[in-house]
Amino acid sequence: MRVNGTMSRVYKWFESRLQLEAPVKEAALHPVPRNTASWWYVFGSAAFTLLFLQIVTGILLALVYVPSAGEAWSSLNVLNHQIPLGWFLRGLHGWGSNFMVAIVLIHMAQVFLFGAYKFPRELTWTLGVFLLLMTLGMAFTGQVLRFDQDAYWGLGIGASIMSRVPFVGGGLVHLLLGGPVIAGATLSRFFALHVFIIPGALLLFALLHVWMVLKLGINEWPMPGRLVRRATYIDEYNKLAHEDGIPFVPGAFWKDLAFSGAVVAAVGVCTFVFGPFGPGGQPDPSIIQTVPKPDFFFLWIYTVLSYLPPQMETPFLLIAPLVAIATLLAVPFWAGEGEKSWHRRPVAVLAVSTIAICWGVLTHLGATTPWSPHMNAWSSDPIPVHYLQHATPLVRQGAVVFQVKQCRNCHSIGGNGGERGPALDDVATRMTIDQLRYKVVTGGGNMPAYGKNLSPAEIEALVSFLETLHPANEPPAYDASRRAVDESQSQPRPQSARPPAPPVARQTANRSANR
Amino acid sequence: MRFIALALAVFSVPLVAGCGLRPGYPPNPMLRPTAVTDFATLYNQNCAACHGQNGQNGPSIDLANPEYQALVDDATLRKWISGGMPGTEMPAFAQSAGGMLTSAQVDALIAGMRRNWQRPNAFDGVSPPPYAQAAVGDPVRGQSTYQARCAQCHEPTRDSANQQITSPRYLALVGDQALRTIIIAGRPDIGQPDWRHDSPGGQAAAPLSVVDVDNIVAYLASLRNLGQPAPASTASSHTTPAGR
Repeated sequence: MRVNGTMSRVYKWFESRLQLEAPVKEAALHPVPRNTASWWYVFGSAAFTLLFLQIVTGILLALVYVPSAGEAWSSLNVLNHQIPLGWFLRGLHGWGSNFMVAIVLIHMAQVFLFGAYKFPRELTWTLGVFLLLMTLGMAFTGQVLRFDQDAYWGLGIGASIMSRVPFVGGGLVHLLLGGPVIAGATLSRFFALHVFIIPGALLLFALLHVWMVLKLGINEWPMPGRLVRRATYIDEYNKLAHEDGIPFVPGAFWKDLAFSGAVVAAVGVCTFVFGPFGPGGQPDPSIIQTVPKPDFFFLWIYTVLSYLPPQMETPFLLIAPLVAIATLLAVPFWAGEGEKSWHRRPVAVLAVSTIAICWGVLTHLGATTPWSPHMNAWSSDPIPVHYLQHATPLVRQGAVVFQVKQCRNCHSIGGNGGERGPALDDVATRMTIDQLRYKVVTGGGNMPAYGKNLSPAEIEALVSFLETLHPANEPPAYDASRRAVDESQSQPRPQSARPPAPPVARQTANRSANR
Repeated sequence: MRFIALALAVFSVPLVAGCGLRPGYPPNPMLRPTAVTDFATLYNQNCAACHGQNGQNGPSIDLANPEYQALVDDATLRKWISGGMPGTEMPAFAQSAGGMLTSAQVDALIAGMRRNWQRPNAFDGVSPPPYAQAAVGDPVRGQSTYQARCAQCHEPTRDSANQQITSPRYLALVGDQALRTIIIAGRPDIGQPDWRHDSPGGQAAAPLSVVDVDNIVAYLASLRNLGQPAPASTASSHTTPAGR
């Protein structure tokens, strides 16, 4: 009792000065329409929770991380291996970032589909658009601070994109990198962006965003036919919230709490199971054994840039983002009234589905399309043993030529090797020996001509090897006219003689003769 | 209260059980490619494609053959790995010759091959012909030795004449030293006998003498320029560094 009394006096001492009880109570207990206490309305609070997770883990990381080009990579490895649970902390921050980008995008799609951006919540949406941009900015600068090969080359690509801006491109690159090249100043600059500038703005905008949600009320569940009109909406909303409403806490809040808890738990589980991201190889441009790729949220840009014809790159890079941001900002002002329900907004549903499908497809292509040759396949992927089992000496040499001339970097056999060109496991069934020879010498399509890079003996050996690449039960392709000439030059045979043996049979005969 | 205690117990079981289990613990920091000196990694990245996984069953000579390991000394191996082997497709791997490997890595490869594939007394006390040819061989005598000792297995048929070891096409890609090495050490992974068993059917017979080996190589070398002109450019492969 005595303790309670003391606590109560202390509380009153603070409360009489701070006077927070009334506004907090008002915020917590304000009525919200009953049907907004839905599991669909939990993404915003989850994003907010993740923001705090990022702030806390980020502060802890900043205690150890050294933002210098020479030491950043080592300090990440110190965190991974020398500080107890340092790896877990890095994992939480990395996975937290991925989850935050994902949840922010889902939140935005949900808000759009539920018409929550309409009057009077236009500014909430506008701030939300900036919050999305800042979240992506945090993701990019965070990827740079994970200073490894991906970060280094990602930064190079970022700078290259900036340099395409007319007139001021060079100046922008200088501003971004802190000089003409990626160096110590670059990392300091990105550290400041990632730790002070963007998070400060992000926190301020997020608080304003939440403030407006509290003040304007959580969007009611959209009903088909219930139109938003500027003149009547606020009265209608208040009536709905008071007549069929429940207090925000605990009526709707418990779902937010549960979902946020689940998301944080998911971040923890992902960290425990999959671990932190990188760091990959050292960020040293003299190390050329690397295939840098952006993190998943930027993979779609990587895909788009790979597919765009070169003359479209600059217009796309400079105009598309501006158009996209302008469109997002214009949405609530262009369609601030009217129908909220997705049942009556087919264009909105179609737009979200199209964007989601395109994003998914582009990301998938970015993750899996083999745009680059496998640069070390020629020296590291062995020829499958069964391809050489009964090979003649020349065929063996052909296999060596196949490797040493790096055909393997673009063409796989036995499932290993590059994927730029077709797999060659059954190439002999598709092309006759003359066609193979012609293709090797002159190239064609994507393939360079190798006529000047291979000696005649190398070409013959290579083609001999390629001609053996066919399934055991499927003979290689052959040229009928050449066969006829061969037959006419051989011994005249009686009419009843067997038809010419298919090449596979001839080869088997050769092999048995060679043994 | 009992519910809370039960829930805590249920949650703590996997936590305690998983104490030693850290599936997400990050792997060791990535070394610079030039700092890797682990033999298995280096071999698999640089050699396995042609010399086969574990040093055998590749298209090129089987490095895991103990007789090969006994025949070739460290300096020679270093020379071939670093600068490539003239007359063959073996490229140069040392940075000094435009490749990607440091001299420490070349040494690590040699040491690893010795450690894994060298066997004491690989020749069972018999002295093999020397690795390097000392005298000039006689191609005419070589032809008769070849016919007596090699031709039964290496007899070209009408269809395969261009693919056998006597074909200029093949010989244009395989230098004299490579021919000599394979005659002496054989290729056990594909059933090619060594110099002691070079006889019809691969039966044990009188080993080929040093002169026999010289002569057979000279005979095969004499065939190299028959048929279509042997390109001088095979030597170019030896100047082509690895990784280019």
